Amino acid sequence: MKKKLLVSLLSCSMVLGMLAGCGQSASTDSAPAAPAADTASEPAATETEAEAPAAEAPAADSGEDVTITFMASQDWIQDAEMELGEKFTEQTGIKVDYQIVPSDQYESLLMTKINAGECTDIFGGQSSQFSIVTQFDVEKNAVDLSGESWAGNVDPAAAVELSVDGKLYGQPIQDVSACWAVAYNISLFDELGLSIPTNYAEFCDVCEQIKAAGVIPIYECVSDGWHHVCWTEAAIAATQADPSYPDALNNNTATFEGNKELTTMFTQLKELADLGYMGDNYMSNEYADAPASIASGEYAMVLYNQGLGAEVNAADPSFPEDNIGYFVNPLCDNQALNVNYCGPSRFIFSGSKNIDAAKKYLEFMASDESLAYMTENVGKFNQLPFSNAPSAYSKVVQDFYDRYPTKVAVFQASVKYYNPAWMDIGADMSAMFLGEMTPDEVLKDIDKLRAEQAVAASDPAWNQ
Amino acid sequence: MPLRILHGINKLKTALKRGCLAAVRQPHLIKGTNNMNKNRIYPRYFAYGALIIYFVFFFLPGLIGVGYSFTDWSAYSDELHYVGFQNFKTVFSADENYMKIITNTLEFTLITTILKNVIGLILALLLTKSIRLLNMHRGIVFMPSVLSTLIIGMIFKSILDPKSGLLNSFFRSIGLDMLAQKWLVSSELAFGSVMAVDIWRGVGYIMTILIAGILSISSDYYEAAAIDGAGGWKKFWYITFPLILPTLATTTVLNVIYGLKVFDMVYALTNGGPGKATTEVLYTAVFKKFGTGQYAVGTALSSVMFVIMIIVGMYMIRVMTKNEVVE
Repeated sequence: MKKKLLVSLLSCSMVLGMLAGCGQSASTDSAPAAPAADTASEPAATETEAEAPAAEAPAADSGEDVTITFMASQDWIQDAEMELGEKFTEQTGIKVDYQIVPSDQYESLLMTKINAGECTDIFGGQSSQFSIVTQFDVEKNAVDLSGESWAGNVDPAAAVELSVDGKLYGQPIQDVSACWAVAYNISLFDELGLSIPTNYAEFCDVCEQIKAAGVIPIYECVSDGWHHVCWTEAAIAATQADPSYPDALNNNTATFEGNKELTTMFTQLKELADLGYMGDNYMSNEYADAPASIASGEYAMVLYNQGLGAEVNAADPSFPEDNIGYFVNPLCDNQALNVNYCGPSRFIFSGSKNIDAAKKYLEFMASDESLAYMTENVGKFNQLPFSNAPSAYSKVVQDFYDRYPTKVAVFQASVKYYNPAWMDIGADMSAMFLGEMTPDEVLKDIDKLRAEQAVAASDPAWNQ
Repeated sequence: MPLRILHGINKLKTALKRGCLAAVRQPHLIKGTNNMNKNRIYPRYFAYGALIIYFVFFFLPGLIGVGYSFTDWSAYSDELHYVGFQNFKTVFSADENYMKIITNTLEFTLITTILKNVIGLILALLLTKSIRLLNMHRGIVFMPSVLSTLIIGMIFKSILDPKSGLLNSFFRSIGLDMLAQKWLVSSELAFGSVMAVDIWRGVGYIMTILIAGILSISSDYYEAAAIDGAGGWKKFWYITFPLILPTLATTTVLNVIYGLKVFDMVYALTNGGPGKATTEVLYTAVFKKFGTGQYAVGTALSSVMFVIMIIVGMYMIRVMTKNEVVE
């Protein structure tokens, strides 16, 4: 009897489950890409600093069943953006499903999804006038956003890195005015009587004194797969030594292998690790722990963008935000500012069934209020690359930019097939740290990685 | 003592012979069974549906995949050209890491198969005894097998963190600092750590299959051996082990197939690192090649994998069917 009852109950629940499932899919199918309310483009003005832009209108009925998916690498989607996403849902009824992927796995996953034609509605990708063509093939895989209301507000330098033949395909996510520089604990430097190094030898001297004081000089996090590659932005030293070098690399008339500055750069980086300046755990440290590690006083410096002060302060409120200063990456005795107008960006997948809803989201994120909210609530965002975004440079950051008048574009922006190989270069550098590869072998492998892509892309410079 | 055991085994053999003789003396019984089987053989066209589905959805894509490995198929170009064995030259080139990746995969398969079987057998023997809370113990050992491999990977990434991981913290807390290692980020230990986590995850599953095998052995054999004075080891070696061999063959096949196809555990724990290819296996390499749009090299790697699996599979079938009697 009991068995029969149980069987009947299970059967009923199965039937109900099936019916519910069918019902849901039917309602979703019936309203694909329904246009959201006009209010999406008009988020209400923010009155307080702590609150996300308030909803001006009640939930729109037209977008109720639409959920847009947005996949991005870890650290690309900030908490503030997800808070804005909730407001966006309140205003338009369009839900946003954020799919945040560990950074060391993101690139493989994204490219597999794009190449399989099954990508999310919005995907995050690094901008670069070269790699958005060779890697993402945005003309095929992304939606042209040139006609969007916010397109004209994108900083021209950033827009170039997101455009193909004058058509804009992406929307910047982060502050691209920031650069990867050595962030340091100012009070510790003052305590030890240290001054900002102006070349590699001085940097080593600084590290030695910090280490002698019982503090680990540099926080490095190889396990993420990408952060340690940021040290290679010192390759601008090669551009300074020969301004035609990036063009020669793009024309396949020069190689990474054998370049004096690049060899020095990798050799010096390996030396920093071997001398113990990165501590014992640099292979397993994680990027997300950098602010807390600096705040704890365990580490003195980290290669970071110009938002570390706020993040360290958030990790430990007793650590003043302006106690973090910056100086340029000193490998190869570099003293120029490594500028890069490329950065994580949002693209709408051309195969998406929710293109209109995704466009509404991008429009919402580019509104005055959303940009202001992001700038106020994300420490590393000082100046988002939009003409309608506010500026929030602190004195420390402004001093840093003023100290280095020479600006040179990094390889990520100026050299073809370099950015798409970023994670592979990271794996090579990881092997170099472990002693499995020499700096020369890393350089040789970068040439090989670039050549593979160029040949596959039928680049005439490689296929003659 | 050994004489007694031999005597017991001879008794078993005699009993088996008697059974066979009985069958010979009563051939009508066997004949009747054969007639019954013949009547139950279904027409051949019943298999056509399954064969067509298998051919279209499994065999044909496999063949097409092998075909693509002879082209320059990539995400960067819509055109496809025949390039002969170029991709295979790349795979087997000394300049590349693919041979190391293939070796890693075979090493992973061999070591995890042996250890999962050995540990699984030991656990199965222990957990078929009359002990308290038997099912709870079995449940605990089996539990990792039902968890998502990715979740296990992420948990173990945290447990094996050299600085703040549970394992190293434990070693440090009991004064064994020298045992606190860089489990997943040192080129010497990373592959071993990945295999250890995988063995921990898979051993419960193997144990469960072996428990079923052990429980199917009639207790009469053990009683007879006990009467003859056989100890625990003799009982295992002369009764349990021979009779559980078919089950062990099954678990070996399962482990080998899993080992050759392993992906998620490596992906979650190290993603092939640290370094260039310390823990890279075939499927993570194929995944990365597809990720970078180099489809042709990816399919060439898959084809190499396919050949390896065929060779290993044929060898295993031959070994497993060696003692089978064909009517």
